[in-house]
Amino acid sequence: MATSFENLPEELQLATSAHVKYIQSLDTRKDEYDYWLTEHLRLNGLYWGLTALHLLGHPEALPRAETIDFVLSCQHPNGGFGAAPGHDAHMLSTVSAVQILAMINAFDELETRGTGKAKVGKFIADLQNRQTGTFAGDEWGEEDTRFLYGAFNALSLLGLLHLVDVDKAVDHIVACANFDGGYGVSPGAESHSGQILTCVAALTIAGRQDLIDTDRLGRWLSERQVASGGLNGRPEKKEDVCYSWWVLGSLEMIGKAHWIDRDKLVAFILRSQDPENGGISDRPGDMVDVWHTCFGLAGLSLLEYPGLQPVDPVYCMPKTTVQRVLGQSWKKTPLSSSAGSI
Amino acid sequence: MESHGVARSIRARTEEQRLQDLEKIKAYRNLENQILSQSASGTYNFALFQLTTELLHLNPEYYTIWNIRRRCLISDLLFRQPCELSPSGASLSTSPNATKERPLDASLPSPSDPIPLYHRFPIAGKNSAGLVASTALADPQRSDIQYQAPNSEGRESDGKVLRSELAFTLSAMDPGIGHPSTAGSDCTGDMGNGTQPSVQDAYQGRTQLPAWGYRRFIVAKLESPELQGKSMAEDEYAYTTKIIGFNLSNFSAWHYRSQLIVRLLDRRGGGDRMRAAFLDEELSVVRRALNVGPDDQSLWYYHQFLVSQISEYGDGHTIAPALTVDERAAYLRHEIEEINDLLEDYGDIKWIYEGLLECTLALKQLEQRAERGGGIFDVKTWLVKLQALDPMRSGRWSDLERRVRD
Repeated sequence: MATSFENLPEELQLATSAHVKYIQSLDTRKDEYDYWLTEHLRLNGLYWGLTALHLLGHPEALPRAETIDFVLSCQHPNGGFGAAPGHDAHMLSTVSAVQILAMINAFDELETRGTGKAKVGKFIADLQNRQTGTFAGDEWGEEDTRFLYGAFNALSLLGLLHLVDVDKAVDHIVACANFDGGYGVSPGAESHSGQILTCVAALTIAGRQDLIDTDRLGRWLSERQVASGGLNGRPEKKEDVCYSWWVLGSLEMIGKAHWIDRDKLVAFILRSQDPENGGISDRPGDMVDVWHTCFGLAGLSLLEYPGLQPVDPVYCMPKTTVQRVLGQSWKKTPLSSSAGSI
Repeated sequence: MESHGVARSIRARTEEQRLQDLEKIKAYRNLENQILSQSASGTYNFALFQLTTELLHLNPEYYTIWNIRRRCLISDLLFRQPCELSPSGASLSTSPNATKERPLDASLPSPSDPIPLYHRFPIAGKNSAGLVASTALADPQRSDIQYQAPNSEGRESDGKVLRSELAFTLSAMDPGIGHPSTAGSDCTGDMGNGTQPSVQDAYQGRTQLPAWGYRRFIVAKLESPELQGKSMAEDEYAYTTKIIGFNLSNFSAWHYRSQLIVRLLDRRGGGDRMRAAFLDEELSVVRRALNVGPDDQSLWYYHQFLVSQISEYGDGHTIAPALTVDERAAYLRHEIEEINDLLEDYGDIKWIYEGLLECTLALKQLEQRAERGGGIFDVKTWLVKLQALDPMRSGRWSDLERRVRD
């Protein structure tokens, strides 16, 4: 369904070339303290930046060879990746590494110059708690449904999902479901949009969307849109551009994306741009960063903003990448709503 | 990489401000490094525990630090034999009968309690290539730890520590409530020097989620057979009442309350009449709150929870499973009346119409299931109102309308 953007004010345009330049400039800011304060997110940041560039239609804007070099320099002998060279291996950076290599079609380099896919798969699979089905982030054992999604995401891209107990993991997600249709970080925890996206995406990868109370969840998610048109992450919280992804991606996957006002959300995201220097922030007038740039653009892509590459809501990568790696990508399918709820 | 709520500005800091920022950054990173490197070395002791207090004071969202705090509790502050305290306050049991890896938390029911790292991913020192298959605990300080049920003195001490942690979470959730000057005084009396950081100003506007998660972890510890050995559902239920009393609009508190209720009722052990009375009371609590704050989402979500407890039956695990269909229908009709009353005072608040719709549809489903006819409600009018009051969600109201028509 193509959305018309006739209602948008003329001055709200996507500042594509400014955003490309912004992302290209990120690695040149080594004289800024914030650069060093965020070293523990470097590989993740590279994924966010690269995804943004792909969606903007400028995949070549970051040098491919250097990107591969950097990614592989973060890898440990056990297959896991840290956020930067020398940083401990962690699920989140490992998933980012796999996604980056998928986007630039460099899995072969992982075989020839890295530890190879199998070891990466083993690193991820070893993080599953085989009693509860959930996943830890690293050897320190912190468990979070985000890590479960990360594992499903990366393993499916690597063709290694069979290494883990999918059914047990699915059971764990179900245990994290709340009466409002949403999902929390662990059983008993309250619903949160970030966790909802990860749980819904993981269930989608596992082919178990039947377990989702789509009406209740759709209702909860649709209520994230506030008067400004932006989306928040939980009731009573402020709207934030990144929820254009977490909330909208979830709505898309359960077939209820039409339950929010798309024009208003587009306008909110565009107002949160810095059209001169590039980048998108959490809300209009705030400082931009690569996280919000990535998820703001992903949101706009889901909203079918003209000129953007289509994004796959399950993987948060271009559909073309997912199509190439898996042979298929997300298709909107009408889901029958569950009985018993409004 | 990720900034929230920081106003965009052309970098116009004065040199003095810039230097001040650099000092702040340096101090923050030093503290962080101290904590992370001590944690990496496996030395969980009271000194590290205190460092986490300091960092959580600055950043209660940093969930890894809450995790480190948990590990300090598990490996050092709890289950100590007081006579074996070393002068620095670090605890190392060195019983010759030490068993190395009896799972400390195997008996604990809490699903949110992470299994301690050394029982799942034994540390083999910083040189390890990540996870290690062997079960040997290479850290010499760890190898002699004996995990045994504490004696009564140990139980009392641990109880104090954990209850002071509950107070810590309270102050983390609402700086206005907590009394940091008294929080932790019991445990610092046992353990030597402990300063009481002021947490009042630090937590304004921050997320409470890690604090709630930590609280659930502490509660699970207190409930464990080694300590109180009984459920804290009553206390925690009372805690939610307290928090809600300070601020009705607290989604986390209402959510936690909804989680506690079934356990609470099982413990109270009363029969069907008691359960029905409890349901009545909860409904009036939330209705009283709605009378004051009819546009408060958190309240409506809790109301939705209670309605679903009435309308969804069959699996037995609800507040009042023995209610008959007629009784359930009566409850729902009563709710519809009450919500209609709200309309008189408050007019055009979309949540009210949504509440009416929800109860009505629930009632219809109930009656269909029991094959009874019901009264006619003005569903179509309410939908028209919702379209008018809440056009952002018109896609949803249209879908609903289509369903109601069928």
